[in-house]
Amino acid sequence: MVGKGEAPAPRDPEEEEEEDTGGVVKLISAEGFEFVIDKKAAMVSNTLRNMLTSPGGFSETRQGEVRFPEISTHILEKICQYFYWSLHYSSGQETAEFPIEPEITLDLMMAANYLDT
Amino acid sequence: MYIRVKRNKSTYFIQCEPTETALSVKQKLHSLIDQPPSNQQLVLLGTNDVLEDSKTLADQKVENDSVVALALRKDDNAFEEIFIARPEDFMSSS
Repeated sequence: MVGKGEAPAPRDPEEEEEEDTGGVVKLISAEGFEFVIDKKAAMVSNTLRNMLTSPGGFSETRQGEVRFPEISTHILEKICQYFYWSLHYSSGQETAEFPIEPEITLDLMMAANYLDT
Repeated sequence: MYIRVKRNKSTYFIQCEPTETALSVKQKLHSLIDQPPSNQQLVLLGTNDVLEDSKTLADQKVENDSVVALALRKDDNAFEEIFIARPEDFMSSS
């Protein structure tokens, strides 16, 4: 039985809370545009949720930044809008359409598939 | 609701209520960009109206998903020109 001594001290105290939904994350598009959104909005995406909550954490998410070299700025912005729309919509009461321009549908679906959202 | 605050290549999604004042939005931005409200100028895109601190967002026609440009105060105390980069100018050329 080796290495059963003391667990290594957590490197980042902020990572301790598993469901820490405070704060913001920065999503960076292929063209280097930055979108700063609330963590709880980012959590709409299961992929991002896993990145943000996995123990140990991804190096990107520890710095609060996630790069998407394959997602263009227009699509990433639309996705962020969807996150907020989803937050609002899932809270009940009113419903509203989420508008999607036909020309971006395919790209948006591919990104949504990747982000599991 | 939320609004999108844009400057250069950055977009900040800010959750807010129509009854909130523009100052309240600036205070939220303060925690993100390290610039006090007095150094921020918010301009509603479309009408180019400069938002007034004491008025509510609803009063100034700022609605859900509105885009607001952010200008910061320069060294000479004036506000910088509004600039929002367009992704078309940065298409990856690989």
